[in-house]
Amino acid sequence: MNRFRQPSVLPGFGLTFGFTMFYLSAIVLIPLIALVLKAGTMPWSEFLDVVFHPRSVASYRLSFGTSLLAAGINSVFGFVVAWTLVRYEFPGRKIIDALIDMPFALPTAVSGIALTAIFAKNGWIGRYLEPLGIEVAYTWIGITVALTLIGLPFVVRSLQPALQEVQSDLEDAAETLGAGKFYIFRRIILPTVTPALLTGFALAFARAVGEYGSVIFIAGNLPMKTEITPLLIVIRLEEFDYLAAAALGFVMLVISFVMLLGINLLQAWGRRWMVAGGR
Amino acid sequence: MSITLDQVTKRYQGVPVVNDVSLDVREGEFFVLLGPSGSGKSTLLRAIAGLTGVDHGRISLHGRDVTNVAARRRGVGLVFQNYALFRHMTVAENIEFALRVRRVRAHERRERRKELLRLVALEGLDDRLPTQLSGGQQQRIAVARALAHKPEVLLLDEPFGALDAKIREELRRTIRQVQRELKISTVLVTHDQQEAFALADRIGVMNLGRLLESAEPDELYARPATRFVATFLGAANLLLARQTADGISFGAAPVDARGVEKVDSGREREVVAVLRPEEAEIAPTPEALSSPFIARGTVDEIAFTGAHERIRIRLTDGAAAHLIGPDGSADSGVLEVSRSQHEQRNFAVVPGEQVAIGMRRVHVLPTPLSSFTACGVTAAGAERLSGHPFLVDLAARMKTRIAVRVEAALDGASIGSTASGGHSLGVAVLRAGPKVVAQLEWLFHRGAAEALVLPAPRTAPQRVLIHWLDRAARRGTLAVAASLLRHVSAEAVYFGIIPAETTGAARSLGMRTLLDARSEAQAVHGLEMRTELRFGDIARELEAQLGTSRDQMLILGVSDLASLRERFGALLNSEAGWPILIVYRPHDVVRRE
Repeated sequence: MNRFRQPSVLPGFGLTFGFTMFYLSAIVLIPLIALVLKAGTMPWSEFLDVVFHPRSVASYRLSFGTSLLAAGINSVFGFVVAWTLVRYEFPGRKIIDALIDMPFALPTAVSGIALTAIFAKNGWIGRYLEPLGIEVAYTWIGITVALTLIGLPFVVRSLQPALQEVQSDLEDAAETLGAGKFYIFRRIILPTVTPALLTGFALAFARAVGEYGSVIFIAGNLPMKTEITPLLIVIRLEEFDYLAAAALGFVMLVISFVMLLGINLLQAWGRRWMVAGGR
Repeated sequence: MSITLDQVTKRYQGVPVVNDVSLDVREGEFFVLLGPSGSGKSTLLRAIAGLTGVDHGRISLHGRDVTNVAARRRGVGLVFQNYALFRHMTVAENIEFALRVRRVRAHERRERRKELLRLVALEGLDDRLPTQLSGGQQQRIAVARALAHKPEVLLLDEPFGALDAKIREELRRTIRQVQRELKISTVLVTHDQQEAFALADRIGVMNLGRLLESAEPDELYARPATRFVATFLGAANLLLARQTADGISFGAAPVDARGVEKVDSGREREVVAVLRPEEAEIAPTPEALSSPFIARGTVDEIAFTGAHERIRIRLTDGAAAHLIGPDGSADSGVLEVSRSQHEQRNFAVVPGEQVAIGMRRVHVLPTPLSSFTACGVTAAGAERLSGHPFLVDLAARMKTRIAVRVEAALDGASIGSTASGGHSLGVAVLRAGPKVVAQLEWLFHRGAAEALVLPAPRTAPQRVLIHWLDRAARRGTLAVAASLLRHVSAEAVYFGIIPAETTGAARSLGMRTLLDARSEAQAVHGLEMRTELRFGDIARELEAQLGTSRDQMLILGVSDLASLRERFGALLNSEAGWPILIVYRPHDVVRRE
């Protein structure tokens, strides 16, 4: 273990590493292992039945589909928000900056109910969308809206420091070299903030997959149509079918892990020029 | 001309950071813009590059007016202090950036890249990422990148700022070599005078947004025109001296005119003399000096710096009174001398030793404003005036001193008593009030040439109005205005005023006078000023102009005291008025000049 040891202000590597492992185990690893073990007690055929039941498959699709879509929407518009907050000075900037964090603080059920009220057919916004044939509440669109709301701060907060770091000198240099605004954005700004954008995307996605509180109010929860996997798990629990719930949880765990691992690898690849040379 | 700036002004929130700068950079010239931080030099460079717009004035590159042309279409290469390399691109991609933007073919890009890498002596690093290179190498890549599209001018913004001394020197040599090889017109911005000397064909010194002087390095060092340039370029001792027909003198000690350059004015007056530390000589006795003796002193401190020895000598026998300290104070009384190894061997000194000081060469600044003398009837009054915020601020900016003079005669001053009592104490300063006109007359009759009348406390002006009542005072007024405006970041406006009832022919004559004034200010005094024409009564028009804003001052040239009393008596008397600097150039003196 000696070769891992590095000088640091915190007490010895042994102590801090031990604490880290204990902490992670108690909070993250042990519950997850319990979940896997629970699912493992199921007979294989029964497990497959639960996991590939059409209702389950529909819920995965909905959960991961809307989460990906919401994280994607946030990546685009969160970028615009972060850009505005970093690059421009305007009255009320600090207040808007503080508002970004509101979805963090609000109980998710509250935001779910609020969104439902607004997007229902007689709600403030819903009533204008209905004539256009767009139904938001109680459809997958509503779920996406809810997930977008809760994911926004992750993208904005990840991007802000990165955007601050893009020195205006880089843009000036590109400009004197003959590049136009769009070219500068595409070739200089975007590549520089891509790792941060991926982080934001991953965080927003992870949060959306696990989201429960706000979605159940706006989703309508029709099996096969607007039923997300976390809800299905709760339904199984309420039926005292712990094994099925554990199996579904295990599937979510695997898919989430694979996706986050993928994003992390992509990030590591995108960052190689940042860490190269020890800067 | 490869770069031509014509009266370029840039303001931030109303404050000019680049103030009426006009400049010509010749074809293939290496021009260095030198100035302290905040002097506007970087802003000016960015304006040339097109990254900052200008509020006034024109910029041309090789005869093409680019004032309103976007940076990317100006064809300039810019190098930044922090390299500003694209970190997610390899060296090759960085250098080829400008070519890729221009859709140059791959093999041409590669050839150009190889050529540039050879030029900056970094062949073979094509595939490295910027973060894998040292600071010096990164800056070389930045230079190569800036040259890729064959720009017409190369602009360098403190390119060595982030590098250590040794690498700095190496890179300096490379840049000079590249510049010579390509014969590209180059502007480099720096605050380091050694760098400027090492690189420049010509140096322009900036302060407070103004381009004070530009000349070849040796010329600028030997014959600066302003206090600022004299002290900013190397060390300089500033001395107040009296200039007479046959030389200059410090107090009672006249100095042989041999070491003094000819200065055009024949009028006896106080001047500011620049004595470089290496032009001062020390010896055990005045007789042992090989140059004219100026003062005695005690060795205060000796510092060995390798090739040279720096000695600080405290002047004795009252000679200290002639020395202007680095902050304008008089009480430092310490003269700086530097000697070569050879001189040290001939006459070794130790701290505390008495020495005689001589000057081999001294340069007299052409500035008409040497120092200020607060004049009052009582000691308390004069003291109070010498602490006037406007005066203190101005003296600090000009790095000069404020003396105090108590003159009981000022109380009952009348023109009748014209007994001569030579005044050569620089600018006389008076408090505005009912007696001020009579006091001015008294002082001017006694040889004063400039007087500043101060009303209630006021801070540095934003706008300086210039006017002269008589053509005879024109030259002196412009010289004073130019000298003053080098030290305050205000805008200068000359007001030509013609009586309202004037007819067509006289009007066009007035117009011509106005334009002549502007070109003379620019050509002879290096002063960029705006001009405005007004019709009506002179005093009333000027007062109306002053009335538009509190933070203004007036420079008024007169050659006839009667007209001063008649026309400006009311304005000068007012306690709530504006600071007025009166430049008095009587006809007979003008003729002698």
